[in-house]
Amino acid sequence: MDALGLARLQFALTTSFHFLFVLLTIGLVTVVAVMQTRATLTGGAVHLRMTRFWGRLYVVNYAMGIATGIVMEFQFGLNWSGLSEFAGDVFGAPLAVETLVAFFLESTFLGLWIFGWDRLNRWAHLALIWLVALTAYASAVWIMVANGFLQHPVGYEVHDGVLRLVDLGALLTNPTFTVAVAHLVFGALTVAGVFVTGVSAWHFLRRTAEVDFFRRSLRTGVWTTALATPFLIGAGFGQFPVIAQFQPGKTEAAGPVGGAGLGVMIQIGFTLFLVSWLTLPLLWRDRVTRWRPVLWLMVIGVPLPFAAAILGWLLRELGRQPWLVYGLLRTEDALSPVDAGGMLTSLIAFAGVFLVLAVADWVVIARLAARGPDPESAPAPVSPLVPAL
Amino acid sequence: MVEAFWVALLGLLVAGYFALAGFDYGVALVVRFTGRDEPARRRVLRAMTPYFLGNEVWLVAAVGVLFGAFPRLEGELLSGHHGAVVVLLVGLVLFTVAVQLRDGGWWDVPLIGGALLVSVSWGLLLADVLGGPGWLWAVGVTALFSLHGAVFLVWRLSGPLRARALRCARWLLAPVAVFAALTVPTTGPVPVPAFGWAAVLAVLLLGAAWVALRGEAFGWAFVATAAVCALPVLAVFGARDVVGSEVMAHAGTLAPLAWIALGVAPLVLVFQWATWRMSRAAR
Repeated sequence: MDALGLARLQFALTTSFHFLFVLLTIGLVTVVAVMQTRATLTGGAVHLRMTRFWGRLYVVNYAMGIATGIVMEFQFGLNWSGLSEFAGDVFGAPLAVETLVAFFLESTFLGLWIFGWDRLNRWAHLALIWLVALTAYASAVWIMVANGFLQHPVGYEVHDGVLRLVDLGALLTNPTFTVAVAHLVFGALTVAGVFVTGVSAWHFLRRTAEVDFFRRSLRTGVWTTALATPFLIGAGFGQFPVIAQFQPGKTEAAGPVGGAGLGVMIQIGFTLFLVSWLTLPLLWRDRVTRWRPVLWLMVIGVPLPFAAAILGWLLRELGRQPWLVYGLLRTEDALSPVDAGGMLTSLIAFAGVFLVLAVADWVVIARLAARGPDPESAPAPVSPLVPAL
Repeated sequence: MVEAFWVALLGLLVAGYFALAGFDYGVALVVRFTGRDEPARRRVLRAMTPYFLGNEVWLVAAVGVLFGAFPRLEGELLSGHHGAVVVLLVGLVLFTVAVQLRDGGWWDVPLIGGALLVSVSWGLLLADVLGGPGWLWAVGVTALFSLHGAVFLVWRLSGPLRARALRCARWLLAPVAVFAALTVPTTGPVPVPAFGWAAVLAVLLLGAAWVALRGEAFGWAFVATAAVCALPVLAVFGARDVVGSEVMAHAGTLAPLAWIALGVAPLVLVFQWATWRMSRAAR
């Protein structure tokens, strides 16, 4: 494989890893924020314990999200310097806003939330998790603004062979951004809903003593999935007219992988929509918690929305080829002047490190999830980052 | 005018990253010399972890500004030093994950290994940009971050752990001063007066740190080593005319970005300050 192929493979791999973690981050932080809101409003001990338990899984997942995000940010300049040379004035702006407004603030807020536990006023602490959620969504918005520009460039003029930004507002109303970001956000919520459902179902299969805790968690998970999936599907199909207008032939350009991926993604989306709505009546008197085959399906289903999200992402990005900036800059013309050996080394280094750390992170999440919530009398800190008092 | 704002903001973010994240890496580098057993190592690391998220994002913001406001520089800088940047990123990923997930001794491999890769590759990058010998900067920056981490621990810990961190810091002061002095004659063609003054200032600050450690003014010693960590960044900005307007984005990009940055900057400073304040109360 030449340097171009290696660089593309590297981008696809690192983005996919990053995407797996940020999806759950965005979805789960919303669920945790709702749980903490109920805990703060009602003062209920079970809601507070739920916030801590699911919050801990969220924080561990975030660890890998931030690490892979750093690589994503550097990778444009590292391997695709032609992109910043040609389109940096336009494409760089939303990315800069993302890092300043979202990434920087999100991490600072999250740090305060982690260390403010039991130290801050409970309303201030609640405000922090909503600020974390808000900045996480802002992050998704600005990244998708940047990506929407690559799919359908707007708001620019060409001067001396490079792009200049003339209308930031056009980037924000770009049709390849608006519908796609809605699809992404509801996808993240679906991921979180299915995750919370699956972990709760696992505890019922293990005949947990924490019946009330996981009964409520399971309901939260099923309702989140049921409410998110109709909008997820709507925003998914809402993209077809946009694609037909601006990127006709996208599915063909994505090749057999992208085309088959589209079908599987749609199947998974409809399946999750159907089963979540079929489960809603079973929540009555918690019947579903005694129906083991259904509980098993809930556990097995956890990877499905992740897989669908990766397939959708592959279609979106492969279908843009051979363009990096659609109609303006070819992918091959944006490649940095780096030889294939250097590209191969970095590909192996990133892929190896990501794979090992992602597995380690998932093992930690699985262990914490399987261990269940802390006893009410002795709650452990929400993150290993917290100093013992 | 707008150009000067962006150069100043980029300088501030990178200098802030070195001064703050420098002690994150330093604490990891000296943790095995400071904490003899697992409970002690946990105490050592958890002196640093409350600041970790807030510290690392300075780099993220700096690269964001680099991309948005200096697009022509960003691609050239990163792709031009492909190998060193890849090593830096691998180190950052290992360190970032290990800090947040560490629940036992074996995580120290990615933790300390990551910190080492990060400091070595920053040394190599600085040497590359300034035209100095790579090995000197790799060793020097690693020693500098270790010193900064040790001084931070002296400030934040107490009892026998503080005593051991203090021994580490005393050990490291002289080698770092030698490194600062050696950079001047070995660095390539740079405007020597400015660069030489930076080295003189570094040595003076290290002397001040030594005095502060002796006088048990540990907070001031930390301020001094933080300033030494930020100095190489200022030296790069002073010695190399890296940020001319030809690498910058056009005014159509810079103007809206500047408004957003101006709006966010006070928020960031307030919440970073809040992090320090809350952790101080918890000590």
